[in-house]
Amino acid sequence: MSNPLGEIEHAFRDVSGVDQMRRYVEMALAEKTQPSEIITSMRKGLSAAGTKYEQGEYFLSELVMSGIMARELSEMLKPYLRRDETQSLARIVIGTVKGDLHDIGKNLVSTMLSSAGFDVQDLGVDVPPEKFVEIVKREKPRVVAMSCLLTVAMDAMKNVMDRLKESGFRSEVKVLVGGRPITSDFAEQIGADGYGVDAIEAASVAKGVLTR
Amino acid sequence: MTTLDHTEPDMVPITEMAIEPVHLERITQTKLVGESSLQTQVSADRRAETNAIAATVLAYQKLGFELLPCELSAPDWWKPRKNPDGTMIDEWGRILSHDTKCRTWVPTGSIFTSSEDFERFPLADPDAPGRMFAIEEMRRRIGDEMALGGFIRDSFACAWEMFKINDFVRWLYEKPSFLQRVIENVTDFNVEIIKQIADAKADFILSGGDYAEKKGPLVPPKFFKDVVFPNLRRQVEVAHRAGLKFIKHSDGNLNPILDDLAKIVDGLHSLDPSAGMDIGDVKRRYGDRLVLIGNVSVDNLCRKTEKEIIEETKGCLRKAAPGGGYILSSSNSWYTDAKLENCLAMVDAGRKYGRYPIHD
Repeated sequence: MSNPLGEIEHAFRDVSGVDQMRRYVEMALAEKTQPSEIITSMRKGLSAAGTKYEQGEYFLSELVMSGIMARELSEMLKPYLRRDETQSLARIVIGTVKGDLHDIGKNLVSTMLSSAGFDVQDLGVDVPPEKFVEIVKREKPRVVAMSCLLTVAMDAMKNVMDRLKESGFRSEVKVLVGGRPITSDFAEQIGADGYGVDAIEAASVAKGVLTR
Repeated sequence: MTTLDHTEPDMVPITEMAIEPVHLERITQTKLVGESSLQTQVSADRRAETNAIAATVLAYQKLGFELLPCELSAPDWWKPRKNPDGTMIDEWGRILSHDTKCRTWVPTGSIFTSSEDFERFPLADPDAPGRMFAIEEMRRRIGDEMALGGFIRDSFACAWEMFKINDFVRWLYEKPSFLQRVIENVTDFNVEIIKQIADAKADFILSGGDYAEKKGPLVPPKFFKDVVFPNLRRQVEVAHRAGLKFIKHSDGNLNPILDDLAKIVDGLHSLDPSAGMDIGDVKRRYGDRLVLIGNVSVDNLCRKTEKEIIEETKGCLRKAAPGGGYILSSSNSWYTDAKLENCLAMVDAGRKYGRYPIHD
């Protein structure tokens, strides 16, 4: 066994579980492999697993497990990362909007964004519009991501957009929306910058809006 | 019952799995008191429960529905454990939060942080007195006017909701036999409850809880085949022995597991169009053995016009009603955010266009 990086990628692609992934990461670290290379392997494997989910070959539990593995790997690498290697792509604030207590989708998106290299600040569920605005003012994230499962909560997304405009901060952030009842038409209607149909797409959409 | 027996009735029957308090109050012009949840028991206050039963029965009668699903009651002695943060804990260790807009309690967490926590947790006792309070009361009130259903929680869905999703998934990989045992424990409970529901003179079982999300099943089909479906089959067999039909509810895209599911249950509720469930396709593939219930989009009930809802309802009738075996319903429940006018338009369209013979 002399290709721990390849094995790490395969462990993520095949969603082999935490124990197997840990073994390969320990091997890679013992061989003095750069943490950044390990992260690259993880992201390649995660991306392959995400594709399998999008194509219907994998199911939600596999997507969740790949997120759990990614979090474990990040924890393992923390002591080895130099300051410059811990720098994120951008800060994203995420939350389930006011009127909705559901968090499975939001948590998945949060995990996928973190794995993709974003610094994610999770505001939780039932987040009022003023809280989103307050965080934008104070923390200056590059992106705000909103989620909901209930149709009743869709109006709350529009309220956040309105509050951001009223406060003069709309041009400071990109806004992403997603969730069971959300469509690209709705995202366009309320003036969001991006819409992700699922957690995998959300991460690529987030990268996309930052380059616009 | 004619439809559940797969015979063509004179009209397509209509029902809803649940109607949230705000609509019940508008339909019946009454005021509901007490706590409620569409997913679990949150109170053993029989006065409040009787008030809710009266409103539900009155609403279903006013709407002319043919089927009436009824939640189990909490045991007589049961009191919810309230937490300082306003949440409460149900009999299954699920943490519930109050949705103030819908006025219902929904599961948002779990008290279990390890499998050992579960081992120490006292399992719900199916024989605790009082669980049939609502079903018996409803039967007394409706007589034979409507088919009465006893609502149970699917054993997989119950386990999925009892644990945090990350714990469930991790144990799926690392402790699958533990999860299997939990599902078997809930099945044991359900089996006893189904017998009591039959004794309370209900006509069918409605098993709530989702198997799938928008893209597909929550866990790989193999887990359904190896663990979930054998447990589901046990419950269905008990129901059949007691003369009850068995309807499974699930939102989401069930297509990858539908072949197996259709061999077990009598009816399928929800047929979630937002997850791509095509009722015409399901009818073609399984219509000879599966009663189909639902498919009028809950999202559209919130956002579309009455005219659009009428067209959607006509589409469901055209695709699923010919030959019998279709019960008109939304793709879940009449939620607070649904426009009541749209819900009523669905019912009116069902009465107008749901008279047999219906041709596709």
